[in-house]
Amino acid sequence: MKPVNFDYARPSEVASAIRYLAQDGVSAKIIAGGQSLGPMLNMRLVQPDLIVDITAIEELRSVQDRSDAIVIGACVSHSDIEDRRVPDVTRGAMASVASGIAYRAVRNRGTIGGSLTHADPSADWISILAALGADVTLNGSGGSRTIAVENYMVGALEADIAQSELLVSITVPKLSASARWGYYKSCRKTGEFAHAIGAFLTDPDRGVSRAVIGATETRPFVMTDAAALIGDGRNPERVFDQDAVGRLCESLGMTDPIDRQTHVVALRRAIERAH
Amino acid sequence: MNTVSLIANGRKVSADVEPRTHLADFLRDTQNLTGTHLGCEHGVCGACTLLIDGAPARSCITFAVACENAEIITIEGLDDDEIAAELRAAFTREHGLQCGYCTPGMIVSARDVVMRLQEPSEHDIRVAMSGNLCRCTGYVGIIRAIQGVIEDRRARGIAAIPGGGRTSLGPAGAGRAGAVARASAAARIALKTDASETTPAPSHSASLSADWKPQMSFNQSFVVSHPVDDVWRFFGRIEDVASCLPGASLAGAPVSGHVQGRIRVKVGPISAEFQGAAEIDRDDATRTGRISGSGKDKRSGSATRGLVGYAVKPGENPGETRVDVSIGYTLTGMLAQFGRSGLVEDVASRLIKAFVANLEARLAHEARGGRSETLSLPVRELDAGSLISSVVFGRFRRLFARLFGRN
Repeated sequence: MKPVNFDYARPSEVASAIRYLAQDGVSAKIIAGGQSLGPMLNMRLVQPDLIVDITAIEELRSVQDRSDAIVIGACVSHSDIEDRRVPDVTRGAMASVASGIAYRAVRNRGTIGGSLTHADPSADWISILAALGADVTLNGSGGSRTIAVENYMVGALEADIAQSELLVSITVPKLSASARWGYYKSCRKTGEFAHAIGAFLTDPDRGVSRAVIGATETRPFVMTDAAALIGDGRNPERVFDQDAVGRLCESLGMTDPIDRQTHVVALRRAIERAH
Repeated sequence: MNTVSLIANGRKVSADVEPRTHLADFLRDTQNLTGTHLGCEHGVCGACTLLIDGAPARSCITFAVACENAEIITIEGLDDDEIAAELRAAFTREHGLQCGYCTPGMIVSARDVVMRLQEPSEHDIRVAMSGNLCRCTGYVGIIRAIQGVIEDRRARGIAAIPGGGRTSLGPAGAGRAGAVARASAAARIALKTDASETTPAPSHSASLSADWKPQMSFNQSFVVSHPVDDVWRFFGRIEDVASCLPGASLAGAPVSGHVQGRIRVKVGPISAEFQGAAEIDRDDATRTGRISGSGKDKRSGSATRGLVGYAVKPGENPGETRVDVSIGYTLTGMLAQFGRSGLVEDVASRLIKAFVANLEARLAHEARGGRSETLSLPVRELDAGSLISSVVFGRFRRLFARLFGRN
């Protein structure tokens, strides 16, 4: 269980990290906390020539508080969010979800940007951030681009990132006082990757109503206008149509009835246990 | 080699190690700090848990080079620690250990729980300790020991410290040192060869014994906009079928249904190349076929056996063909340890979608009388995540509108 012998670079600036990644003929891989990549390297499923450690880049370990959103650096760890060293703008949603990611020893090193880029469909950030309507910002040699988090993941373990690009930050909108959110994941053992995830957000003051079915075999199913499904967030359980959601999952390729039921129930429980 | 300097149990230490050396090996092999145990070595069992800048972390998936200047505390460094001393007494009292292999990691994690959680229930403690596996005790004694220490400390007026007192952001241990330039390793890269180009495909039988049962199975189906006769005929041309599978190549022409070859699959950062053999049967009367095969990926030490059944039948609309595919497989080795069945299905579905795109292009080209060598297939490499998801998304929006009368 030892990785192949790779080279290591630890740049202190984003531009210099991108230069390492853009080199021709070198298979380079970014590492932040290494909590997903580490096991894959140890098992030799990934055998890079070069590992580029981005944790010395100070801007990636920082947070900017804007009037309508908070911008979280890609290398901020799960426990930073769990412990609210990152100011909470999501009425506790992010801190609550962070506290359920894997185990504390993993959360102390695993990062939000690493989790999103690893693009495991069963991971937590992709689902809750899609419900919250977050964006991700990537820098590359050609400049910077910002996309919705649900579009960042394109399939199991595939993120929309070029070899010479680096995810630098995640922008999470500030919820208004009337916002309600819910998150439920189905795990047989604590800390394991989820079998099904349900998440939703209603923020009537901002005109936002979103629902997510996550931990599918691929990218999460994101409903960006979910008012018909969850109502105005006051009594969502009265509006929730279990059969319609089941048909929706089926039409998206979730053919196994048990799998489908697990996902429908995850969303229902997210709504029943709303905060 | 990189020189790594850090503080281990209060002492400044340094050693020349390869970048791939994880923190546990650094401490055990260069500092003789063998109290840190290695169990699974991929971040699951928790035996290697130690403190990095005061926070518990997995030393088997943390590279030593990434901890430059960090303060590491192992079980050896907790001899005089107040909480650890109380935990040791409680573990002894409650029979919180038997073989002792998990104990260093248990004590480190337990110390963190005692420090951070003010009044945890038994359930809270079980959840907080669930990242540390013990195969002897059944956990009852361990949980009782931790519970006892917490109750005792709170009774003595010692409050928990939420967050363990951390103030800096980012992975524990990071940010203590500046930039490190890449060491030149040109010689090593030049020595690296692609195994697939130097190793011939192994010659072995692909047939599966009659009682073989797949570990996993699933069905997929697709529709091709060409007549059923054309599609069935095409499926008989094994070399052409293989050419439509991105990443697949045959080692030679098929001989009486037996064929050898390889397929390269890339999923995110993982790339695997399975080399192997397959047996192909076809039944013209029922228009069904079976492909049984096995292959090995030398790079990851993984092996697979599988059985693919397919049935070719007329589609809903005239001139269309529906193909039902059933896939059963067994995967062993590292890929199996990492993979979950859902990921395999997602890859299979990407592969099938790419195959269908190529098949359509090929059949359309042939229908126009084109020669196969003049055709450039639409999908040559399987990194088609974006292609597939856009299709799914389009379908999804339409369906949502239909179900809920809005969009």
